[in-house]
Amino acid sequence: METYDPAAHYDRVTEAWGLLLGEELHYGLFTTGEEPLARATAALTEAMIDAARLGPGLSVLDVGCGSGAPACRLAQEHGVEVLGITTSAVGVGAATERARGLGLEGARFEQRDGTANELPDASFDRVWVMESSHLMPDREALVAECARVLRPGGRMVLCDLVRRREIPFLELRSRRREFAVLRAAFGAARMDPLSSYASLASAHGLQVDLERDITTETRPTFDRWLANAEAHRAEVTGILGEQSVAEFEESCRILEAFWDDGTLGYGILAAGKPA
Amino acid sequence: MTTSRRDQALAALQSFLTGAKKPADVDAATPLFADGLGLDSLETAELSAVLEDALGEDPFSAADEMPQTVGEVLDFYGASADAGESAAAAL
Repeated sequence: METYDPAAHYDRVTEAWGLLLGEELHYGLFTTGEEPLARATAALTEAMIDAARLGPGLSVLDVGCGSGAPACRLAQEHGVEVLGITTSAVGVGAATERARGLGLEGARFEQRDGTANELPDASFDRVWVMESSHLMPDREALVAECARVLRPGGRMVLCDLVRRREIPFLELRSRRREFAVLRAAFGAARMDPLSSYASLASAHGLQVDLERDITTETRPTFDRWLANAEAHRAEVTGILGEQSVAEFEESCRILEAFWDDGTLGYGILAAGKPA
Repeated sequence: MTTSRRDQALAALQSFLTGAKKPADVDAATPLFADGLGLDSLETAELSAVLEDALGEDPFSAADEMPQTVGEVLDFYGASADAGESAAAAL
């Protein structure tokens, strides 16, 4: 077992994960289950955009911005000014290059920790946390920071993997190999119930107006990721190695089982800061 | 002199901590979680299995309450060194 370093983990796999997970590097929101992954990942981003109630000129903080694809899309299509933050220097570089390549001036990226971002109070109209919170163990610090940097009248939107039931210790013990495989493939994640995010948001002065379980709608994602692994096997094996690709594929099957037995799932939450 | 179950448990714990890249120079007061060894739930499950494999039972699965310190783990397998020596002398 290794001590987990989120930045190093992310740096190592960024390129390969683009091939495995698709350009946007997150789950898809499927309507029919038949649509391609790229359309479904765009649909999840769209659901976040709708929840955020974006408008031209608003300032957006993207916490855990990855390679910057969602941030660039927000700047390009909605005329917002986005600051994307990530703990990964490589992520900042990749996202900056992406914005430069698109000729975007409204998207910039900095290396910062979402749980202690050191940005001024009340400095953003929107805070966007897309599938990054599960890698930030101090969940309360994350939500507190999001609430702190929001201006009155601002909104926080968040989507991520969630835990849908308590996992008793003896069950965790008996399934420890499955969880260890997930950690090897995706990093040391911790999933909390969607309701716990809502409770934290409320505790930090936000008013939750959207708390939606989208477990069913995200379930086809795993089929697509497995298909990507098959389609890009030579390339991703060259980057990650055979064992890591095998762990990724096993992780997809484990996650499918967790999705199906009600252990894990996916949720989206939105909350406003009173004006 | 045979190795006590407590000593076996300590050896298993230290081996686990070394494998997990955590400090193995622990004492009885070292907390298992948070600012101590910082074990997360999965690491705790793995330690539980390691101890059961080595000693046939473990305090995480058997006890009503989770041990919180290294000493509480070791106490599950026998009394402390001083008490153990007294017991051995009595035998």
